[in-house]
Amino acid sequence: MTELGLGVATLEHEPTGRTDPDAVDATLAASGDASAFERLYRTHVPKVYGLVRRMLSDDDVDEVAQDIFVRAWQKLGTFRGEAAFGTWLHRLAVNVILARRETLGTRRKRYVEGDMVLETVPSRRATPEMSMDFEAAMERLPDGAREVFVLHDVEGYRHEEIAQMLGLATGTSKSQLHRARMALRQHLER
Amino acid sequence: MTQDPWTNRLSEYLDGELPEWERHALESHLESCAECSLVVSDLRRVVRRARTLKNPPPVTDLWPGIAARIGAGIPKAQDVVDLDAQRRVRRRWAFSLPQLAAAGIALMTVSGGAVWFMSGAARQSVVSAPVPSSPPEGTPAVSVAMKPNASQSYAAAVADLERVLADGRGKLDTTTVRIIEQNLAAIDRAIAEAQRALDADSANLYLNTHLAETMRRKLDLLRQAAALVPVS
Repeated sequence: MTELGLGVATLEHEPTGRTDPDAVDATLAASGDASAFERLYRTHVPKVYGLVRRMLSDDDVDEVAQDIFVRAWQKLGTFRGEAAFGTWLHRLAVNVILARRETLGTRRKRYVEGDMVLETVPSRRATPEMSMDFEAAMERLPDGAREVFVLHDVEGYRHEEIAQMLGLATGTSKSQLHRARMALRQHLER
Repeated sequence: MTQDPWTNRLSEYLDGELPEWERHALESHLESCAECSLVVSDLRRVVRRARTLKNPPPVTDLWPGIAARIGAGIPKAQDVVDLDAQRRVRRRWAFSLPQLAAAGIALMTVSGGAVWFMSGAARQSVVSAPVPSSPPEGTPAVSVAMKPNASQSYAAAVADLERVLADGRGKLDTTTVRIIEQNLAAIDRAIAEAQRALDADSANLYLNTHLAETMRRKLDLLRQAAALVPVS
């Protein structure tokens, strides 16, 4: 197929026959329409930002979230509309985040064996700010367990996908997830 | 203290990833092990909790920074839509948003739409440019005086680009052609919808701007599609 410099994607049609507004905006954005890209940004920034916030430390969140959308703008030509735009953007976001982690050298000791994870997340049962505690507890998970937990339980990726993204064995992904869950159960509302 | 050997399998059980025989064995174990049952219940709640986490937008709007980095400044009324010369397009077309807005109005007139600039005092106040006295940023001032020329130029530009595309259609991959045609059809539908909306509210500045921008998108898409036609 001819390489489309304009990054034209096939417009997706919902069963009702209506065109998916994201696909239309992605097409327009790929042809240089910044307004269309801003609409995509407004639609998707909460979820992308949530992903970044949960995967990285506070200091980097805004910058990395911006990087993701700038990268998306640059890569719109590769979006073919085969998946939903949000799915495509999310995968791109994960790649940017993981690349940032590599850059920052934060992959150290992330997939430790043993019970270290359980010990690093102190229990705070029955405190008033439980929902915040749950997020705070997630932040305190070691990077490896946090990545797997966020990608699997929050974002809905499968172990096989996570293993591929993170360069792990599927079994390691499963064991990290279990450890993360076991740590976080201490932070459930009772 | 010795850990129950099943404890480390409980997440896999919850996720439906245990082999059939192991799942049955674990379910039998759960009937008699209160501790494991409690853990399964907790893990289920952790998963449910994770799936219902809120995603508030960032406190600080990141768009201005992104816009700056991708070179998308806030459009001004006087911005000119600069259509770069393309290797397969010999003519250079450049339209301002006001010109495109005027062209849109002209198209409405030709197609039997509302002749919004010819009637009504309120409309007159909009038509007798500049409109409005303090236009919002990014809003083009519509000038009727530009209408005929802009309309003709726009139609000529579209026709020229469509001709280039039609001539080169056979040189393009069929999938590429299909995608271009689908996208052009989507934009044409948007133009038609904007024109219909203007039939009902012809003095609406937003609709006029929207129509102009949509027409510009069509030009952009045609221009870039024409550039795909290989040089023979």
